[in-house]
Amino acid sequence: MSDTTTSGRHARHDKHTIAVMGNPNTGKSTLFSALTGTRQKVANFPGVTVEAKIGTARFENSELTVIDLPGTYSLSARSPDERVATEALLGRIEGTPKPDGVLIVLDASSLDRNLYLGTQVLEFGLPAVVALTMMDVAEARGITVDAKKLSETLGVPVVVVNAPKGRGLDELKSTLHRTLHHPGKPLELPYPEDFTRGVGTLHENLCDLGVELGFKPTRPEALRLLVDGAGPFFEECEEVGGESWTRQFFEIRERAAGGRSLSMVEAQTRYGAIGGWMRDVKQTETREGRTKTDVVDGILTHKVWGSLVFILAMGLIFQSIYSWSGPMMDAIDGGFGALGDWVGGMLSEGALKSLIVDGVIPGVGGVLIFLPQILILFLFIAILEDLGYMARAAFLMDRLMSRFGLNGRSFIPMLSGFACAVPAIMGTRVIEDRNTRLTTIFLAPFMSCSARLPVYVLFIAAFVPETKVLGFLELQGLVLFAMYWVGVLAAIPTALVLKKGILKSKVTPFLLELPSYKAPRIKAVARTLLDRGGSFVKRAGTIILAVSILVWAAGYFPHSQRVDDQYDAEIATAEAPYSESVVKFDPETDPDSLMAKFLEADEAHDARVAALAEEITDDDALETAVADSKKKRNAAMAEIAASSTEATQALNDYVAWKELSEARGEIENQRAGHHLENSFLGRAGHLIEPAVKPLGWDWRIGMAAIASFPAREVIVATLGTIFNLGGDQDEESDSLREVVKDARRADGTPLFTLATGLSIMVFFALCAQCAATLAVMRRETNSWKWPVASFLYMTGLAYVAALVTYQVASAWGA
Amino acid sequence: MSSQTLDKLPIGASATVLDVAGEPALQQRLLEMGVLPGVQVSIVRFAPLGDPIEIKVMGYSLSLRKSEAAHVTVSA
Ligand SMILES: Nc1nc2c(ncn2[C@@H]2O[C@H](COP(=O)(O)OP(=O)(O)OP(=O)(O)O)[C@@H](O)[C@H]2O)c(=O)[nH]1
Ligand SMILES: [Mg+2]
Repeated sequence: MSDTTTSGRHARHDKHTIAVMGNPNTGKSTLFSALTGTRQKVANFPGVTVEAKIGTARFENSELTVIDLPGTYSLSARSPDERVATEALLGRIEGTPKPDGVLIVLDASSLDRNLYLGTQVLEFGLPAVVALTMMDVAEARGITVDAKKLSETLGVPVVVVNAPKGRGLDELKSTLHRTLHHPGKPLELPYPEDFTRGVGTLHENLCDLGVELGFKPTRPEALRLLVDGAGPFFEECEEVGGESWTRQFFEIRERAAGGRSLSMVEAQTRYGAIGGWMRDVKQTETREGRTKTDVVDGILTHKVWGSLVFILAMGLIFQSIYSWSGPMMDAIDGGFGALGDWVGGMLSEGALKSLIVDGVIPGVGGVLIFLPQILILFLFIAILEDLGYMARAAFLMDRLMSRFGLNGRSFIPMLSGFACAVPAIMGTRVIEDRNTRLTTIFLAPFMSCSARLPVYVLFIAAFVPETKVLGFLELQGLVLFAMYWVGVLAAIPTALVLKKGILKSKVTPFLLELPSYKAPRIKAVARTLLDRGGSFVKRAGTIILAVSILVWAAGYFPHSQRVDDQYDAEIATAEAPYSESVVKFDPETDPDSLMAKFLEADEAHDARVAALAEEITDDDALETAVADSKKKRNAAMAEIAASSTEATQALNDYVAWKELSEARGEIENQRAGHHLENSFLGRAGHLIEPAVKPLGWDWRIGMAAIASFPAREVIVATLGTIFNLGGDQDEESDSLREVVKDARRADGTPLFTLATGLSIMVFFALCAQCAATLAVMRRETNSWKWPVASFLYMTGLAYVAALVTYQVASAWGA
Repeated sequence: MSSQTLDKLPIGASATVLDVAGEPALQQRLLEMGVLPGVQVSIVRFAPLGDPIEIKVMGYSLSLRKSEAAHVTVSA
């Protein structure tokens, strides 16, 4: 290499990797974000980080790769979450670099328990730095921690940090930088002699086995294996060492235990040592009275008030989703409508215009319109998580969940399922028991996720009257609430069957820390909202855009010229009886003509009627008001007509033009409908029509359901595209809601009735139309069995439920 | 000294843990979470449906089911 200065700089530019470890909810992710600046979800619920996140921090010339691990209480690998932590520490996770050191995060407000994991990690002897968080919380509780003494005791540097306030970060970076250049020294604890001897014997035994294992096991690993006596490492050794090894192993365990259980020996040794250190390190000043968390918990987990607050909070969320989003949704709707008109005006007729105006704009707009509701839902979830309420929800719900063979921990994934099944399924990793976890994974998609919301909102807005029940509850909100229950009600028997049958398991421990409440931080909540909103928009911009285009193409092609010719001829026939001035009249090109003046008067009347319909609820009063408006219009028209003979002639022309316009519109609708019916999508719809007819659907709805396989919310976009292509649109209101209301069957009866609307909503509440969910299920269960079973089961259930809904609702006359 | 199990204590009561039993996974989990012989625990409250219980141990709040608390022997 010729350039020595560059290579010299390279030599000094060193790279290290550290793993961040600590108990759940101690501020690891917050610290990670502060160090690396990477966006990452931070929340105040134990076990939020279910995957290791990686980021890069810079200090002077060195680069530090930081791995944010899920919080664990111990290295004994019982839940998948903890296994991730241990394996990452040992550098055994594929795609994750082996850490050169550890950053141990300790919560100063419960230092004793935090040190349990802390000492386990320190025994591995990697270069380590301790970050002491939550000093402010500790102080508020009258606990003072002497960081210097702690550092002397543990033999590693201890840095006090407050990541939310940005304190101590520079010192932490420079300490890490310094420490990583020196080898670490394993912490030694005063285990009983039998135990220490047992660890030594097992270690030797494992080293002999090492050749076959493919790696050299360390002494702390031997310790873990000795105590845990189970887990993936144990199984590996058993396989390699065979029966004789297993026999030896249990003999070693027996001798090491000395009459007690090995976990008891480990816990008593660790907590014994920790207790001794704490006399020097920690000062506790007994405070009179209760902490803020105690006071708040007195209400939030109270028998009566707690349950009430819980139900109210859930109710409030659903009501707000419904009532707050209105203005924002109208704005988005209006914006896309205007965009469509504007773009449509610039393009000439043809496939491209159809693609953009009928495919892309309504497709994407129809999905983006739900952004406000999704943001409101995530706003609540983010606040509750950050507040620390989610753990209380698990506490409140455990009894109920255990009736269905689940536990309180299943509650959070289930609740997240109301936002999206994908993070919900990932969140099940905090559940220790495999069968409970699988049951929860299978049930999570039953919760009504935000992608179903568009379907509900569309059909509720179109078919459920805007009235109030009991004077203050919106009926529409109530129906929405009920739709959310459909999934829950289907999930309950499913859970019972699963847990009694295939996924039977013994009752699993439910030990859950209830963290202290923390004021939700606007920044963290805002970041979650941005992330979620952003990924939703990205989804709308990619998958949904692609699907809109595909669906449009399937509904547009093959665009036969013969059909066009046929309708062109029909239009010519319709125009034949009229004079040229009537046929050629176009209000946009001659806005100043006399005919345009009549049109203006007519439109003014229409506008008045629309306004009156909003204002007046009484039918008779409305009729009188409309008649008045009509009189006004007729008077205005008569006045113009009386002004000259030309004007009188123009009035006749105008009336003729209106007649012709209607006839033309009718023909255009037929043309579009004909094209759609002939299209690939139309043929597919016809093919399945016999199967969906009993659900009250026609071939178009069936076709929309097929098209929405990749993602449920696509049905809204698909319906928008289909009905725009179908030309069922009218100029006054092109919002999808109106389009759906106006859609007709071939015999002219409305396509969507309340019964059809309910049947579609129930179908989408229960079906498994979400490729992302199925993919994540496959990943988390490591088998195709579960996603396939889930798809078949949910689709079958959705079909039957929609069938029953339609038949019952139409028998009731809905 | 008489003894009883943790699930039998009333709200507000404090006691010292004497022994922790149960099947290995549960026992290990309890010990790791700081419920071990010699440690002070107090009952904070019961969940609205009567189960689980919230206890204070080592300065933090832990929730556990009655069936689990039944494996913890405490001084009365
Ligand atoms: N008062 C105070 N709060 C803090 C401090 N550090 C972090 N927090 C808050 O603690 C909460 C939990 O922080 P996280 O970073 O999500 O904790 P975590 O350790 O990553 O949690 P898991 O991923 O669930 O294991 C957040 O609300 C943080 O704002 C601190 O030093 N003082
Ligand atoms: Mg985290």
